[in-house]
Amino acid sequence: MSVEELTPAVDTPSVRKVPVGRTRVIGVIIVVIGLFSLIALGLNTSSRAHSALTFSPVDILTNAPWHLGTLTLLTFWTNVILGLIMIGVGLEVLWRQPRRGVMGRFGFISVLFLLALLFWAVRTPGPSQVSFIDLTSILVGSSEVTMVLIFGSLSGVMCERAGVVNIAIEGQFIAGAFVGASIASTTSNYFYAAIGGLVAGGIIGWILAFLAVRYRSDQIIVGVVLVTMLSGLSSYLNLQIFTPYPKLNTGNVLGNFAIPLLDKIPIIGPVFFNQSAFFYLMLLLIGGVSFALFKTRYGLHVRAVGEHPHAAATVGINVARVRYINVVLGGAIAGVGGVAFISQQGQFQPGITSGLGYIALAAMIFGRWRPSGAVVACVLFGMSVYLADNLQTYNIPISTEILTMFPYIITIFVVSGLVGRVRAPAADGLPYQAG
Amino acid sequence: MRLELREITKRFGSFTANDSISITVEPGQIHCLLGENGAGKSTLMNVLFGLLHPEEGEILIDGEVTTFADSGEAVRRGIGMVHQHFMLVPVFSVAENVVLGFEPTKSFNRVDYKRATEEIRRISKEFNLEVDPDAIVENLPVGLQQRVEILKALSHDAELLILDEPTAVLTPQEIDALMSIMRSLAASGKSILFISHKLKEVKAVSDVITIIRQGKVVGTAKPTASEGELASLMVGREVILTVEKSAFAPGADVLEIRDLVVRDDRGLVAVNGVSLDVRAGEILALAGVQGNGQTELVEALTGIRPVESGTVTLNGRDITNVTPRQALDAGIGHIPEDRQRYGLVLSMSLADNLVLNTPKRAPFAKHGTRNLRAVDQNAHDRVQEFDIRTTSIHELVSSLSGGNQQKVIVARELSRPLEVLIASQPTRGLDVGSIEYVHRQIVKHRNEGNGSLIVSSELDEVMALGDRIAVMFAGKISGIVDPSVSREEIGLLMAGETQVEHV
Amino acid sequence: MSDSVATVPDAIKPRRHLLHRIGSQDPIVVAALALVLGFIVGALIIITTTPAVLDAWRGIFHSWGAPGHALKVSFDNVGAAYRTMFTGSIVDPQGFWHSLTTGKGWDATLTPISETLTYATPLVIVSIGVGIAFQTGIFNIGANGQAVLGGIIGTAAGSMIHMPTVVHIPFTLLAGIAGGVISGAVPGVLKALTGAHEVIVTIMFNYVLYAFLLFAVLSTALQQPGQQNDISRTLDPSAQLAPIFGAKSGLRVSWGVLVAVAVVFFAWWLLDRSSLGFEFRVTGANPQAARASGMNARIIVIVVFLISGGLAGLAGVVQVASTTHYIDGVFLIGNAGIGFTAITVALLGRNRPMGIVWSSLLFAALGVGGRAMQATTGIPLDLATVIQSAVVLFVATPVLVKEIFRLRGAPSQSVELATKGWNS
Repeated sequence: MSVEELTPAVDTPSVRKVPVGRTRVIGVIIVVIGLFSLIALGLNTSSRAHSALTFSPVDILTNAPWHLGTLTLLTFWTNVILGLIMIGVGLEVLWRQPRRGVMGRFGFISVLFLLALLFWAVRTPGPSQVSFIDLTSILVGSSEVTMVLIFGSLSGVMCERAGVVNIAIEGQFIAGAFVGASIASTTSNYFYAAIGGLVAGGIIGWILAFLAVRYRSDQIIVGVVLVTMLSGLSSYLNLQIFTPYPKLNTGNVLGNFAIPLLDKIPIIGPVFFNQSAFFYLMLLLIGGVSFALFKTRYGLHVRAVGEHPHAAATVGINVARVRYINVVLGGAIAGVGGVAFISQQGQFQPGITSGLGYIALAAMIFGRWRPSGAVVACVLFGMSVYLADNLQTYNIPISTEILTMFPYIITIFVVSGLVGRVRAPAADGLPYQAG
Repeated sequence: MRLELREITKRFGSFTANDSISITVEPGQIHCLLGENGAGKSTLMNVLFGLLHPEEGEILIDGEVTTFADSGEAVRRGIGMVHQHFMLVPVFSVAENVVLGFEPTKSFNRVDYKRATEEIRRISKEFNLEVDPDAIVENLPVGLQQRVEILKALSHDAELLILDEPTAVLTPQEIDALMSIMRSLAASGKSILFISHKLKEVKAVSDVITIIRQGKVVGTAKPTASEGELASLMVGREVILTVEKSAFAPGADVLEIRDLVVRDDRGLVAVNGVSLDVRAGEILALAGVQGNGQTELVEALTGIRPVESGTVTLNGRDITNVTPRQALDAGIGHIPEDRQRYGLVLSMSLADNLVLNTPKRAPFAKHGTRNLRAVDQNAHDRVQEFDIRTTSIHELVSSLSGGNQQKVIVARELSRPLEVLIASQPTRGLDVGSIEYVHRQIVKHRNEGNGSLIVSSELDEVMALGDRIAVMFAGKISGIVDPSVSREEIGLLMAGETQVEHV
Repeated sequence: MSDSVATVPDAIKPRRHLLHRIGSQDPIVVAALALVLGFIVGALIIITTTPAVLDAWRGIFHSWGAPGHALKVSFDNVGAAYRTMFTGSIVDPQGFWHSLTTGKGWDATLTPISETLTYATPLVIVSIGVGIAFQTGIFNIGANGQAVLGGIIGTAAGSMIHMPTVVHIPFTLLAGIAGGVISGAVPGVLKALTGAHEVIVTIMFNYVLYAFLLFAVLSTALQQPGQQNDISRTLDPSAQLAPIFGAKSGLRVSWGVLVAVAVVFFAWWLLDRSSLGFEFRVTGANPQAARASGMNARIIVIVVFLISGGLAGLAGVVQVASTTHYIDGVFLIGNAGIGFTAITVALLGRNRPMGIVWSSLLFAALGVGGRAMQATTGIPLDLATVIQSAVVLFVATPVLVKEIFRLRGAPSQSVELATKGWNS
């Protein structure tokens, strides 16, 4: 029996890589987007049309030591060039069929397309017109919703990296927002409110872990039902408690805390250094979660449990304990996110979170279960949510509905594998039984 | 380390998986545990590794009685296990996998990868196990992944290594590499317990061989024993099976397999140019130690697995790469190897399972509506005809005994018009009475002039049923012989010796 | 081996004794006990949040007799809440007696049950769709969005196209089904062709459809002429499902009930009598055996989503045609969305058509009774949602129910759905 007759596998199982066929589909999609930008948004505009961008500080009176002025561009040529770049990238994907970085290219194209769309939307017949896009105020405005999304998707990362699907982010937001509103109203102190939200979200996380880890219930069912339960419970308590005792829900908005000097930096200043305490907490949390999951011993155990719980158990890691800890922590993070949300909105009302938890879930998936990826996705999704709600403010003639659909449609694209591969932690959503 | 297992008995309910097994492994020795699948080898190893607890018997390490509450304790006592299904996290690096659970840390609980890497390099060098600590495990070939498993065990200071079917997933080159690793580990004083059903490897590497069958030690042998001897010890069975067959009168070729090539789940060639003919009125028995491509061959014939190249024809009709539906409609009867997984729906009734692959066929359905009366009638008839023991035809299949579950499949397949019957391990795990019954049904089918391909790793079964016996080894047919040849001769073919005569 | 048991005719198969069933883990018993637990949770919530009850408990610090008083107040409040829930959703015994003896006031007496049936009608339809998907091992969280699209297209067909009643009602209902089929096709086709997880796709697609709803009711085509708000045109009377007892009776229960009955019959035929449904069930119970038995998983996934979506769409249009006759921008959105309640209803009903009928009636009664409870006792109707969710959490965790009630028997499978991760 000769050895050569058994040919070794030429490649590792094909599911692990972007199949060639799909790369081609992505290439075609990118080319189509590019052609659309080139023709509809570029060639179709008058050659004298102009688009203007400003970078003014949000509050000119307080932060006015600088002014970057306005950047005025010829819409026609700008969009033609952007369209050509997109087509170029698409053709490159089609031609070289790269195995890596396809998703990154698609993200780049999304940004270019959004820019082209903005330029087209604010174009004016001539350079002297006043219609322009104020980038700073868009960034500052959207940072509020982005912040809430980041809390939610970090919660998702914590749970799902340990192998428990957390569909109940929305429910943890509701719990945090409700408890946060009542504590902030009674104590006028958002620190206590944050603690309250932490505990409330943690309890929801504990219920999820209790049913999913201990009783191995279906995590998706438990998650969906928890959201329904909390939205019901919050409107019940709203009528039962907040209505008779309006003092418990006064609508106390948390102010911003500007970091001296740094907040004067153009663009970056108002976006990063003139924010509420929750924003700074979120920045810390992004670093903290990334560090804990990817640098520490604890994080290694968590990821092992999420990928291959059996292997983790054979080296003495307590799978159930790791999952409990992470799901409770994840719930607590989302609970604080709910408080952060209410710190901008003030008053609690039933249904106030309006599906933000599901967008956070989508952002986590889009970000491939990584804190950094999730943050990028949250910024993208946060911007589209914000713009969809504030189109009139910016005079952007794009349909609200299309912008609203954007995060969801792009997530559907991603999970269909049309845009690169996403792979959840291998044991995500699967109950573990020892032995 | 000197390890002694004394009279270990492990029962699962009424089933005795290990029946007072005693084994001693001396330091620096490679001790092989040889036995068929289901003989109780893995149970014994799980007992030793603290994953299961024996009902009777004791484990002695260096003469001292020891009990393990869990596998962590076994690891601390110096026992390392290389699992058949690797306990590695595919997306982790080699270093992360090796240190998992025993990480060196620096400030803020950070894993000290630098120290981990150095440690891995040191052990790699010491035992001559080259592997890149920064490589991602899933990108490594399986042979190297296994090396990582061994490194992991050694890094926990294992003195005794258990290798559970380590060669099942390796290519021949990788097997050679593993053999030399095992030898050098033994030379450095480690004890090795090597579990396998592959005779050649066992002979090549062991110092002592213990053969177990049906949970009992049936003998020990020196590696100098002949492969034929070992094979017959391993697959032998006390019960002598006699099946009455009418005179052999083969007809025309029914199923023709030509140069078939099929890949397994990992993309390796599992069936490598197999050509076989099954004639009307004959049982072609396909013998061979499990894992030599039989499973993949059957899956390809029944449409479950794609064919890479070659052809399959059924009565002159090309059925290469058909869908399972087309294979069923073409008249291929299939008794699958894993009956609970592929052959039955345990949560459905006996009656429904009897029409599992013919729900749309007359008389069971008309215009998309099922005729439940016909389904029930069919069930009543089959229960009578095939002597299926049940309280009701509406009983869930999960409540039937293993033998009766198998009878359900046999009844379903043999009661529809077939061109050829393909049965994989048709009597595995059955009691003697059921085995006899299934055998009689298969022979009856053959006596009626039908062709059958019976795949079995039970030598007795093969010899009792087969009109001709084809032996499969390493994806190829190593020989086709008459059932009158000696067990040793078939044993040699099962071990890969090539063919002497062609029948 | 149990081979020694001889074959016995069906007739003498021992039936399990009733007492034995109560102590065992019979799924129906578990569901009933889950219901009890759900009501206990509801009672605890009432006790801990109702101001009057809390005041009574505060009294125990002041006087010795107070604990008894506090307990009594608690029981009174919970009792009043659940009593009004019952009389508000099923029947008020006093009114019933009055009607029976005097023959008058039947309309008022029947109003609660009529409301429950009105609420249950679309719920039965959509839950059966969800249940069929569950039985095939598919999780359709998108039923709410599918019902929304069914409502949109059905409303368009019923309000923008004019024809006689005989054809207009079927046409409107078919348009609703078409809407559901279209929106069900998206996750179905994506799952079959790319393996995209249906849970993520359906959650996301729900929100796409909600955005589309807003777009539709603000569009010149569908918006009520002369309106600036997000309100659609009103269905032609020829497209409306009329009240069974006539508009004058004030009883809202409509001929939509017949549609629900037809759907129940269809689902019974599909799951229990059709060969297609047999393939669905086999696929749900053991996908590998299904494949080996020649069933095509991809086609089955798509067909199941088309059916499940179609029923959701039908539920959406029935909701419009039997009650409001128009849709607005928040049609079915929020936790009141029947598509979400349907998930819980299907689970409680064990995905069986008749089980779903009973659990729909129960949940409808909870919802309708909740409204009466809010009107009479001031306890918010959302308590009903909380009780429903709690019931389903317990149903999804039978082992927990077993532990609470110390039932005997081996733990049964958690839900009739193979738990699977994101990657499957």
